[in-house]
Amino acid sequence: MRVLFFAQLKDVTGCHAVDLDPPSPLDSNGLWAALLEKFPGLAAHRASVRLARNCEYAAPEARFARGDEVALLPPVSGG
Amino acid sequence: MIIDIQLTAAPIPENLSPLSPPGAHGAFLEFRGIIRAEEGGQPVPALEYEAYSKMAEREIRRLLESLAALHPCLAARVIHRVGVVPAGEPAVYVGVTSRHRAAAFALLDEFMNRVKQDVPIWKRRVLSPAAAAPPKSDSHASGPPAALLSLDEAMAEIRSRCQPLPAVRAPLADALGRVLRETVCAPEDLPPFDRSARDGYAVLADDPSEVFHVVDTLLAADWKPRALQSGQAVRVATGTALPCGGLRVVMQEQVERDGNRIRILKRDRATHIRLRGEDVKAGQPLAQAGVRLNAGALALLAAAGCVQPLVSPLPRVAHFTTGGEIVPPHQTPEPGQIRDSNSTLIRGLLQNIPCDLEQDHLSEDFETAWRQLDPGHLAQLDLILVSGGASVGDRDFTRPLLERLGFQIIFAQVNVRPGKPLLFGADGARIAFGLPGNPLSHFVCFHFAVALALARMAGGETPPFPRAPLAGKLDDEPCPRETLWPARLEWNAGAPRLRPLAWASSGDLTCLPAANALIRVPPNQGLLPAGAEVDFLPAAAMIFP
Repeated sequence: MRVLFFAQLKDVTGCHAVDLDPPSPLDSNGLWAALLEKFPGLAAHRASVRLARNCEYAAPEARFARGDEVALLPPVSGG
Repeated sequence: MIIDIQLTAAPIPENLSPLSPPGAHGAFLEFRGIIRAEEGGQPVPALEYEAYSKMAEREIRRLLESLAALHPCLAARVIHRVGVVPAGEPAVYVGVTSRHRAAAFALLDEFMNRVKQDVPIWKRRVLSPAAAAPPKSDSHASGPPAALLSLDEAMAEIRSRCQPLPAVRAPLADALGRVLRETVCAPEDLPPFDRSARDGYAVLADDPSEVFHVVDTLLAADWKPRALQSGQAVRVATGTALPCGGLRVVMQEQVERDGNRIRILKRDRATHIRLRGEDVKAGQPLAQAGVRLNAGALALLAAAGCVQPLVSPLPRVAHFTTGGEIVPPHQTPEPGQIRDSNSTLIRGLLQNIPCDLEQDHLSEDFETAWRQLDPGHLAQLDLILVSGGASVGDRDFTRPLLERLGFQIIFAQVNVRPGKPLLFGADGARIAFGLPGNPLSHFVCFHFAVALALARMAGGETPPFPRAPLAGKLDDEPCPRETLWPARLEWNAGAPRLRPLAWASSGDLTCLPAANALIRVPPNQGLLPAGAEVDFLPAAAMIFP
């Protein structure tokens, strides 16, 4: 699974993407746990970040599995 | 509904035709969202947009389709810029056609509201559009430069990005330590006239007389040309201009004087005269462009009357400390806090290098810190240093701060210990460093990066690492990173050698009082025995006069 970071989150992680290889699908809590282990700095952003799975906003019960493209989306500001 | 969506780095065209066929629509409504050049009193030269392109397109399409169900429209075209967009240019374009105008107005208004909620596009202020990275069509292919640079690569990058600042004329009193930017030639012979090198008596060089009549007395500032006859002598002091050519000076110790008569007791072979032009002839170079002016060089320029030499300017430097855990040194730290030592370290190190330094502490809150800054003033500076906040903790904001100030981050890590999380940014000729917060990292990064940048700005040469043997063994575990190890360069029977100093961590200040050099330990080296020849970097006080 590839996890993408955007905008200020890239500054927190120092990279635009990271590859995770969970043995079984993760729910959002499991995904956050895996990410915070690598990037503790993300904790401060968790409340405002929305998760996307394969280019769709992820529902609360979504599962993130191998092969998925996951994105962490901070509050948007386009237009 | 016909839908066309473009996320593009190219400017939005001036003239766009409706998407629905002519005759179908009764209304064609266009909206261009244009970047204002000023926001809240602050100039905004440009904004930078980043998009998660694939998802943004999907979200825009979904949004248009759901709105069209409420407000029936015939066609919609949406163009959104990504990358840097200068002020005054449209960042977004929406063109909607409908049979009746009300539906187009309603859809467009609602669409613009919802874009700001759901479409994964982000903007940032860019202070200097020229310096921003080239626009990218798909931003998640971008991101920070990922490569971990070696020490040599990082230094080469700094060397190439930092260019000599325009030269200025400065009085000699302000020129110490600056780099001479012109070759200064002697305007006249030095010395400018034949001078006596001793207190004594000037006589004709080949006059065999033993007794002389003293016909005049010349003091140091006297200028009294005259011809001397055989048997005549002139009393002279050291430095006195001699009255004519072809003389010699007999030292007063070798003369017996009686009134106006002298008897020579002993003649030296030496004439004791400093001849006109014997140090340097008019037109010969006294000091070459590119030399760093030490006290001796300034004295030579003074002797030649070059009182306003063309030299490197004083770089304007701002240094900011960050971090909620540090308190000023005079304050007693609360539990969890430490005193700020980096401000003092940086100020001291920069006193060895001519520059204008200003220092301040920034709030740990990013937006509060941003409001503390005056971007217009910072745009005038040559070098910005930010201490702390260069790694990726959640409070660390050096990188976004520098980016918001218009800097392009050239590298964010160097494969060196200590000092790995060093940030280097450039905005044209303006340079910035984010220094990792630990004091020893500061010391190391200052010497291989900041001092190098300032040396380049001054227009001076940056010589390669010198070599010297180790005075004692350097007992290190093999480290995959290259190490710059604090050391004391000392003299042993006239030869330099390097004594490695003990340090516990990159936060360890205790070795710094003795440190005047950094030993370059290759990656995976491990122990180096006493006597091993190593490369080293002399500390600033030794690099500069």
